[in-house]
Amino acid sequence: MSVPLSQMWAIASYVIRQKLAGRERYPLVLMLEPLFRCNLACAGCGKIQYPAQILRKHLTVEQCLAAVDECDPPVVSIPGGEPLMYPEIGPLVKALVARKKYVYLCTNAILLKQKLEAGLFEPSKYFSFSVHLDGLRAEHDEAVCRDGVYVDAVEGIKEALRRGFRVTTNSTLFDGADALRMREFFDTMMDLGVEGMMISPGYSYSKAPDQEHFLRTQRAHDLFSTLLSNPKRRWKFNQSPLFLQFLMGKRDFECTPWGNPTYNVFGWQRPCYLMQEGYAASFKELLETTRWENYGRSSGNEKCRDCMVHCGYEPSAVHHTFASWRGFRDTVQATVTGRF
Amino acid sequence: MTDGAALEGWTPEIGKGVPLEEVIDKAFDYRGNVTVVKTDGSETVGYVFNRNRDVAVPFVQMFDADGAGPISIRYADIRTIRFTGRDTAAGSSYAAWLRAKEAAKTAQHPEKGSDPAPSRGA
Ligand code: SF4
Ligand code: SF4
Repeated sequence: MSVPLSQMWAIASYVIRQKLAGRERYPLVLMLEPLFRCNLACAGCGKIQYPAQILRKHLTVEQCLAAVDECDPPVVSIPGGEPLMYPEIGPLVKALVARKKYVYLCTNAILLKQKLEAGLFEPSKYFSFSVHLDGLRAEHDEAVCRDGVYVDAVEGIKEALRRGFRVTTNSTLFDGADALRMREFFDTMMDLGVEGMMISPGYSYSKAPDQEHFLRTQRAHDLFSTLLSNPKRRWKFNQSPLFLQFLMGKRDFECTPWGNPTYNVFGWQRPCYLMQEGYAASFKELLETTRWENYGRSSGNEKCRDCMVHCGYEPSAVHHTFASWRGFRDTVQATVTGRF
Repeated sequence: MTDGAALEGWTPEIGKGVPLEEVIDKAFDYRGNVTVVKTDGSETVGYVFNRNRDVAVPFVQMFDADGAGPISIRYADIRTIRFTGRDTAAGSSYAAWLRAKEAAKTAQHPEKGSDPAPSRGA
């Protein structure tokens, strides 16, 4: 486990405070999308499939901070689109760090070196780059539909590390991913010196018979078991070990999408980062008026049936850690031994 | 009339077999601009990003073609919605991209086949 102790403590004490206050639903990570524009056009990426006037729009820093202040989570993740294309990204990160939020800037890193050289950011324990890499060079360039992106991203990572920034990676694994190549990828990232890695299965939704749904889930468990059942001590993951066990099929959780709420130019997205069923004008309205019972695997909603993505299930894993001594013990055990 | 590609250019006439609520739902799912025709005859071109019928006065929200908004329009004020803009999601799924790539490979190496591909989220 690679999350720094101060960050672990901030999250632990936050969750305990929520529990003591008797809050049933609380946010852990705000997914703050200041824009949908991107300098890549990965096939099937729903974030960039909008008419031009929407892609030109972005939130103001004031709108971003008002959303953060209302929601008040311990962690803010800034995905997109490509946040390094957001003209106010420097001031936004600075303001979030000043609020002592742990900030993950999720980037494809094409512009990273350039923005670092321009002096846009300062290293801080509250601030990490989370670089999108879906595997080694061949796999990543194929995933993002453009050659050369892996090399640019690695250059960006090296430059950020050289300048003293925290750097993590985030990888989405689709059905058919090569577990052995991904293990090589983990080695390569550790050799580069990244602080930790985040992995999540891709979200796929298609109408299919029950048996096919079952097989898809089974294949995902098999993939993550092959990847993680014999982890190397040097691999560090910047996420809950219980979530990784969930991906391996060793635990079952229910989705808690309010744990990772999403705010963007349309407002507060219902119900989660992946699915757009409408928007609320405030976080309060999102919490109070979303029909949460209609989502998650046990809801019977077919769009949720195969879903195991981190934005729905990682908050559940964190919640479980603090819900019982057993959850806490299992988390500590996996963290200390590095085994899942 | 269920997927985006099929919706592009659709100019539904609300009434028999085509309820307004259904057209609004399709406009909400559609990844392109539409033209909302109001009962007073006025038209607004833009992107419908929200709709809510679980409230006392159901409404849609949109940004117009210049990005101005959000503009709220009550269901009761909508005569129809025409799917006038290009569907930005049409043909750009991850599965479609892999199929095209695989087809190109197969053309080079005709002995290799391909499996159905997954779709990409986000
Ligand atoms: S880099 Fe991310 S936001 Fe940009 S097109 Fe690819 S998946 Fe979408
Ligand atoms: S199960 Fe997945 S798609 Fe459904 S609400 Fe949860 S995160 Fe979203």
